[in-house]
Order: sequence, then structure tokens, then C-alpha cells
Amino acid sequence: MPNNSLANKILSVADDSFILGHRNSEWAGHAPILEEDIAFANIALDELGHAQLWYELYQELTGAEPDRVIFFRSAAEWRNTQLVELPKGDWAFSMTRQFLFDVYENVSLERLVHSTNPRVQEIATKIRTEEIYHLRHTSNWVKRLGLGTDESHARMQRALDELWTYALQLFVPLENERELIAENVVPDLGILRDAWQEKTVTHLSASGLQIPENIDSVPNLRAEHTEHLAELLQDLQQVARSEKFGVEW
Amino acid sequence: MDSQWQIYQVFEKERADLPHRNAGSVHASDAEMALENARDVFVRRPNCLSLWVVPERAIFSKTVEELQDNAWRTEMQNTSAEESYLVFQKQGQTARETFVVHVGDVAANSPQQALERALETFDDKNVFVWWIVPERAIIKNEASDAPSMFEPAHWKKYRNHLSYPVEPIMRELKSAQEMLEE
Repeated sequence: MPNNSLANKILSVADDSFILGHRNSEWAGHAPILEEDIAFANIALDELGHAQLWYELYQELTGAEPDRVIFFRSAAEWRNTQLVELPKGDWAFSMTRQFLFDVYENVSLERLVHSTNPRVQEIATKIRTEEIYHLRHTSNWVKRLGLGTDESHARMQRALDELWTYALQLFVPLENERELIAENVVPDLGILRDAWQEKTVTHLSASGLQIPENIDSVPNLRAEHTEHLAELLQDLQQVARSEKFGVEW
Repeated sequence: MDSQWQIYQVFEKERADLPHRNAGSVHASDAEMALENARDVFVRRPNCLSLWVVPERAIFSKTVEELQDNAWRTEMQNTSAEESYLVFQKQGQTARETFVVHVGDVAANSPQQALERALETFDDKNVFVWWIVPERAIIKNEASDAPSMFEPAHWKKYRNHLSYPVEPIMRELKSAQEMLEE
């Protein structure tokens, strides 16, 4: 059932944006300087906003209300990659993660704007201009930290070594994704991976960073998560799930 | 060693028929990041057409009080070649007039000479502050970057302060409370 495959795909895209936006929001009030605190909070809000658009499409496809989907799913029901659920770490870690994700989003969105599905096309077009800016901003940070002091360089290299394998999970296809690719609803993840690899390697190398050579086993299933997702959800969902607050959802 | 990043003054143009005006300042490691920080801190209003940043130390600034002392005229060094300077004025004290706005350009071979020429050229009634900025010190956004820098603000009403009518809400709450107390 192609509609079902599409719903699964949209949910995975929404979950990636949402969880990353939530993780980035943890920097609010803690970023290195005030200006960047605002800039990074803007990026976090943008990711949450993009997730909202995808969850709305998911609702159109399945009837599931975004609030239920976000606040009442257990960890095993989330379809985000492990990349986005990892704790925010230091500034180098969060910035490197956002950069790797931004390149992925850019290579994906520049194709999704030509999707044969009009709603996918519409949402991708709306999101794309903003993602171009995200990538510009994170690229600039990666370059400055990579080529900055010994300390900033070492932290960036450590972050990259840790994140690289996780990032590759973005290119593991979902079950039945072939059908969507055949109908030009979504791009082929193999093509995206090549485009992503070329862009990230070029920029990271120009930023004085070494691309990790030893690839550990890439997480395979989006239903499998680290223990960090459950902790994040505990924090995120506790008000919605608590009866004592008397909140109606 | 000063560990602080440089300060850049930010100028924003909100409408085609309005001049660039000073929006505030940002800290940044370099010019490119200054432009990005300016975008993230100041481009919240739906209409931004153009954004400039200038290192604060590149601005030659005089208040009307400072102008009464003519000492600045003797600081003039006419050694460099003539170049273009932008002239900015703060023209009033009310909330609406509080911005330092771009009023025009002059050619001169020093900031001091540019100010002298600006004083001759532009109406100086009700001017509180003059800023003289060499054009080459201005970092402008690329026109091709405008969509990704400015367009998203159009559909993000939550970033616009006008979307948060705090004052009327507070007034309403207060009057409701007063009614309860009576």
C-alpha cells in the first residue's frame, strides 16, 4: 500500500526534525555567546516548525493527531535516527551534528521540491529557503572551530569521529521505500548519500578535519534507539502524560 | 589580551522607500558571522530588504555637544585618497526618531573631512548624533542570499513582537482582578 509507505517515510522525516529541534533547544540560555544563543534557538525552532508541517501531512495520511503522536508514543514507536537523539554534548558536538544533518536536509530538499506528491512538494518548498540558511550558518561555525584553536579543533575532530557512523543511518532505506522512489515521490537514498558525502567531505577537509575511516556498524532499524531517547521522552512527555496537571489534549 | 569579539553596528532597510537605519549591535568573530548574527538577532520584523554590518571602530561618531568643541577639526589627516563616506543622523529623541538613519553620501579623504562636508551638505537642524562610515567598511548581504536570510520571517509571526500584545493582556488581567477585589 503506497500510502502506508509514504506515511512511514513522512513520520521518519518528522521525527528526525522534531527530536533534533528538541535537543538543540537544550542550548537555549547556554550557548557560548548571546548572539549565537538566539541563532541556535532559531534553528531549533525552525526544526520544530518543519516537524510540525510533516506531522500535519502524517495526520492527513493516517488521521493521527500530532499531539498524540508526539506526547504519547513510547521510545520504540519513534522513527528518528539515533544521530538526533544523542545528548547535546559540547558545542562542537551539537554544531557538527547540526552541520551533518543540514547537508542531508539540503541534498534531500533540493530533490523533494520536485516530488510527484503535491503536498510533499509544497512542504519541501516552504522549508528549503530556511535550510539553505541553516547550512550556511553551521558551515561557517564548523570552519571556524575546525581551523580555530588546538582545543576547538580537537573537540571538532572528536565530535566528527563519534557522529560520522550515526549520520550514515540517515541513508538506510525504510521498508517499501523502493515504491516511493519508483513513483518519484522521494529521492533515492543512495543518490542522496553520494551527494551528502561529497559536500560534507569537501567542507570538513577544508575545515582541517579528518574524515573517519573506520565505519562501525551503522544503526539499521529506526525502531531501535539508544537509552537517551527514553530519557528525552520522559522529559518531553511528562506534563502531557501527567493526570495531576489536568491538561486536556 | 581582549577576549571579547568585536562589536558590529547593524543597519536594516525595511521598505524600498525607507533608508537603512541602525537596528542595534552584535558581537562577532568576523564580518561574515556578524552579518549572520545580525540576521538572527534583528530580522524578526516581516520586512527586511537589506542588511549591513560595520565594525564599530570604523564609525566616526560625534554628538552635537562634541561638535561644539572644534578640536576634532584639527585631527584631520588628509593623507589618504578621496573615497566615499556614508552619512548617518539621529534626528530626534522620541521613540520613533531614535534610530540613526542613513541620509546620504559624501566624498572625502578622511572621516573628519567627510563630517565637515556632511555638515555643509545636509540639514543639521534637530540632529543629535552624526555617524560617518567609509563605504568600504560596510559589509552588505548578497542579493542572492536575501531569500534564505529574510523570507522565512514573513511566515513566522511568532518572531514578531507585535504577535505578543502583552500590555493589553496585562491591562485586562489587572482590571479583572480589580473587579474581583471590589
